[in-house]
Amino acid sequence: MSRLALEGVRKRFGDTTALDGVDLEARDGELLVVVGPSGCGKSTLLRCIAGLEAVDEGAIRIGEREVTRMKPAARNVSMVFQSYALFPHLTVRDNIAFGLVVREEPKRVVAERVAEAAKLVGAEGFLQRRPYELSGGERQRVALARALVRRPDAFLLDEPLSNLDAGTRVQMRTELRRLHREVGSTMVHVTHDQVEALTLGDRIAVLDAGRVRQVGTPDEVYSRPDDLFVGRFLGTPAMNVLTPQAARPFVAIPEQTVLGIRPEDVRLTADGVPARVDLVEVAGSDAYVFLDRDLVARVPAAGRPAEGAEVRVGFDRGAAHLFDEASGRRVEW
Amino acid sequence: MRAGDRRWGGWRLPAAIALAVAFLLPLWFMVSGSLREPGTPPPRAPELVPRPISTTSYDQAFDLVDLARHTLNSLLVAALTVPLAVLVASLAGFAFLLVGGRARALLVGLSFAALMVPVTALLVPRFTLYRWLGLIDTWVPLVAPALLGLSPFYVLLFYWSFRRLPPELLEAARLEGMTPLSMWRRLAMPLVRPVTIAVALLAFIASWGNFLEPLVYLFDPDLYTLPLGLRSLEALDRTNYPVLLAGAVVATAPVVLAFVIAQRYFLHEDRGAGWLGR
Repeated sequence: MSRLALEGVRKRFGDTTALDGVDLEARDGELLVVVGPSGCGKSTLLRCIAGLEAVDEGAIRIGEREVTRMKPAARNVSMVFQSYALFPHLTVRDNIAFGLVVREEPKRVVAERVAEAAKLVGAEGFLQRRPYELSGGERQRVALARALVRRPDAFLLDEPLSNLDAGTRVQMRTELRRLHREVGSTMVHVTHDQVEALTLGDRIAVLDAGRVRQVGTPDEVYSRPDDLFVGRFLGTPAMNVLTPQAARPFVAIPEQTVLGIRPEDVRLTADGVPARVDLVEVAGSDAYVFLDRDLVARVPAAGRPAEGAEVRVGFDRGAAHLFDEASGRRVEW
Repeated sequence: MRAGDRRWGGWRLPAAIALAVAFLLPLWFMVSGSLREPGTPPPRAPELVPRPISTTSYDQAFDLVDLARHTLNSLLVAALTVPLAVLVASLAGFAFLLVGGRARALLVGLSFAALMVPVTALLVPRFTLYRWLGLIDTWVPLVAPALLGLSPFYVLLFYWSFRRLPPELLEAARLEGMTPLSMWRRLAMPLVRPVTIAVALLAFIASWGNFLEPLVYLFDPDLYTLPLGLRSLEALDRTNYPVLLAGAVVATAPVVLAFVIAQRYFLHEDRGAGWLGR
């Protein structure tokens, strides 16, 4: 087990800055989820940690070692790729054993470790098959077993669930969590899926345009976003943002600020501000009510208003967040 | 209806049969012509099966010229050339994949440029070089081009095939500590087997049918390859078509046999997928 740290890491591709001075730490044994929109630099971050991309500035440490200039294999990290990267000409057993065989471990050790890793991920039943004979979920298990078998200092997971169908993704998410608890290793998991990030991570780091916007527990990041981007990126539907003029009927806020309120904190109430329902979207047990005051409310589907209905809406001041309009940073109020 | 049945439905099957017949007919006439009595003139109309069938032409062909030795020589030259060409072309193709952007573009460009140079344009400088090295009248000039992959086309074929492999496969291998040579041997080559077979076959055909270079570099009849043997046969008895055709059958049979053996690899369903959701 090892702490993993990035200190001021910068990476450019020509004129494009992929990572812009990233400071980030995955604590010993922690599952850190890096989440952000497509193109924010999260995969580059993982590739830099793995050594598949050289960083332009900054340092990367794994445990007590500085690995910034080390070759990928010398860093002792395992990576699970989005596409699984299983070797199609090898059986599942040989795929899992690959890293140990390359390192010329004794056959007995290889057999023991492969059996152990396969059991851990539930891949014992298809060790003789080849990757093309497996389902997406099974391939994912094999990729995880291949990463586990070498007992690395840290695991790097690059959107490992994104190629799975919705049902398998939920199942694998739970399994990944269980696996992390059993193995207890440091893991950095990259995803663009906010639900995955919020449900999986011990802590999550929100990345945007190559910069870390906020790091914290899922609760902290969701309930107390440090900036407007984080507030809007996490949560479905996205956080409502009201200008001082739009917010005035509800609460007065200073000029040059905006008010953020999550849809689930917007209440349809008898003593609220009048509003008209433009559209209602039903999503299972919840309904998203789009109001004419630049507001979306998330309410139980059973008690949803009809489209075109006149309602009254309100929210608690304590549930609202205030952000500086120019910088997007959180403002205490 | 299975996918295979659908694929061969409609106009495709008759078209495929017509194409196959067009290619097979000359081969058939070569074989049937070689089975005529030696010395008989060519038939006035196409003759599918000669009457009587005779294998005497083959006996005469082997008597007139030492075809057995020439065949063996061609086999030996091909046995040296083909593995060497595959080895060098695949290593070079893999190196193209591993080197960075501009260097790779330059290498690919140079390969294309080299492809444009006709072999005949190189005959004189090559002859001068080999003579200076004292290698004329040996098989070295026939095998030496394999040290450069035999043709830039084979290098490019391998490069294009390796480029189709998902980069993550090689990155996963790098993370496991594999060297480039080990990646080439244990990952890249097993995944481009059909291309390897294709290049080997093309190299075999090029080596087997090579007439010009043995003609320029070889003087000792004991070193002659089969194309030179056929030329000797023609020089000895220009009008004896059955004997000439018997020689042509001997020269063609190994190539046809090689293709028949190799085609199952070309037609093998692509199991290389597997790395993505396919």
